[in-house]
Amino acid sequence: MSRPRALVVVAAAAAVLTAMNLSVWLAGASPRRVLALMLAGTLGSSYGFAQSLAKATPLLWTGASVALALRARLFNVGAEGQCLAGVLASAVVGAALPASTPWALAIPCCLAAAAAGGAALGAVAGWLRGRFGTNEVLSTLMLNGLMAVVVTWLYGGALRDGAQVHTRDVVAGARLPMAGAALRAFRGSGLNASFALGLVALAALAWYLERTRGGLRIRALGSSSGTASALGIDPSRTTVRAMALSGALAGLAASHFVLGVKGYAEHGLGAGVGFTGIAVALLGGGRPWGIALAALLFGVLAQGSLAVNAVVPSDALVVVQAATLVAVAVVGAGRAVTR
Amino acid sequence: MMAVVFLAQVLSAAAPLVLASLGGVLSERSGVTMLALEAYLLLGAFAAVVAGLASGSIVVAVLAAALAGALAGALFALFAVWQRASSVVVGVALNLLAMAGTRAALKVLYGSSSNSPTLPTSEGMRGSALAWTALRDALSTPTVWIAPLLVALSALLLSRTVLGLRITACGEHPMAARAQGVPVARVQTTALVLGGAIAALGGAQLGLHQHAFVASMSGGRGFLAVAAVILGRWRPVRAAVWAAAIGSLSALEATLASGGWVPTVVLQALPFALTLLAVAGRSGKARAPAALG
Repeated sequence: MSRPRALVVVAAAAAVLTAMNLSVWLAGASPRRVLALMLAGTLGSSYGFAQSLAKATPLLWTGASVALALRARLFNVGAEGQCLAGVLASAVVGAALPASTPWALAIPCCLAAAAAGGAALGAVAGWLRGRFGTNEVLSTLMLNGLMAVVVTWLYGGALRDGAQVHTRDVVAGARLPMAGAALRAFRGSGLNASFALGLVALAALAWYLERTRGGLRIRALGSSSGTASALGIDPSRTTVRAMALSGALAGLAASHFVLGVKGYAEHGLGAGVGFTGIAVALLGGGRPWGIALAALLFGVLAQGSLAVNAVVPSDALVVVQAATLVAVAVVGAGRAVTR
Repeated sequence: MMAVVFLAQVLSAAAPLVLASLGGVLSERSGVTMLALEAYLLLGAFAAVVAGLASGSIVVAVLAAALAGALAGALFALFAVWQRASSVVVGVALNLLAMAGTRAALKVLYGSSSNSPTLPTSEGMRGSALAWTALRDALSTPTVWIAPLLVALSALLLSRTVLGLRITACGEHPMAARAQGVPVARVQTTALVLGGAIAALGGAQLGLHQHAFVASMSGGRGFLAVAAVILGRWRPVRAAVWAAAIGSLSALEATLASGGWVPTVVLQALPFALTLLAVAGRSGKARAPAALG
């Protein structure tokens, strides 16, 4: 049963706008004023634009993460916890390096740590799925909860930097260049090289999935069990590989937080980007440019909600994220988005 | 005395999980994957506290929670059943909505995005160290009594009534159900509304027990309840037993943390870690409703 697609898309967009105006109105503000403030605070100034790109950066990574798993027909709801693992690992490694480590060594080390942290968590979920048939949605949800508890404890205790409520700073060589240092107009924004790395990763992901053997295995796992066995693919191993890769991408979102904006890890850093990454991946339709555009949209939304915080609680605009997510799912209904 | 305090804590801590997992069982037995239990808990807690503050009546608070959950269940059905959107995605979206929406509403209603004003307590028993008072306090919250009652009722509903059999039929073989003249979408909607209302009662328990709404106060219990549904193999009584077991772990946390014997992090991580192990250990034997999706 197919529905006129254009009609559904228009209806979905209208529903999202309605949800936004309704939530703004319920919060007691004028929708028109809020929209004007949002635009001025995001696309209306070079600082706002750079901040929007900065907010989009972790979503490039988590969006790519969820999209990769979806190609293997695995639903990775654990980008949230995998990102936290990446934040933890890169902050620990970055602070442990000798102070004089050159950037050419420090940055790859920290990126590898972030990827490894996320990959480890993803691999656990993949292994449980391959070995015991444990549903990955459930296992990644449990791992999210576990990770949140563990990092909160570590940042408040063992890894605490004296009187500070965050971990020790990473060495200077491990910090990614900030856009504000090169472009005067972007000064003060959180935009950093992680954005460019994220775009490269998206392109690399597309290439990996379409042009390599490993990518073929992952796609075969996602297409149908018949294809996978016809190609002689071991489903358990491929599941572990897909989940580990997906986790690594989510873990690399830490590069924006730890190596870019902050220089350290703290409680709550990286929270929320995993769940938004699901929306980004679904909205992006699995294509690299789609994911980049979707990440940008949610980046503008996130920055815009901060810009209007004085008038409307920024949480009210998360409603728009949720509405977009549902709208995408409704538009995609009938197509197998997940399984 | 220690045992009495512990019993009181088990009762209070298990009820939200038991109710949420019951809501999950009802929803999933109709063939709809239900990950929005976290959202139901939050919305239920929020509705109960807001209604309790406005009316001063605990009965109104509980009813408001059930109503909020029923509405959320209807919303879920609108998208996942009638619009045929992926129920996993709708669940994730509803969780997002509830988490941010309650925070925003908290800010608008009470000027703080972290917690509501505290509910007046009936006899000023709050904070009392006396063991029997703790037990009486726990038992004075109606949701603690409602939970076991609803476990029995849900089990009867699913196994002994026409509606229950229809729900199961929709979850196992919707095509066959439709051929038999069962209005599948309507039955699933009923199951989702009912499940939402029951799960939200678990939220009411959270809010009434803490005498306030605190942002994100569900703290992952909804996800643990999802696990309890699977561990209990989609059967009300078994799911409730698992939920109660997981809930006792949190009670253990409260009791042991006050003694300072075991690091809090171990106790906080325990429910997630053990649930993960239990699900992995039993998932080979689990049989989900055939048409769950």
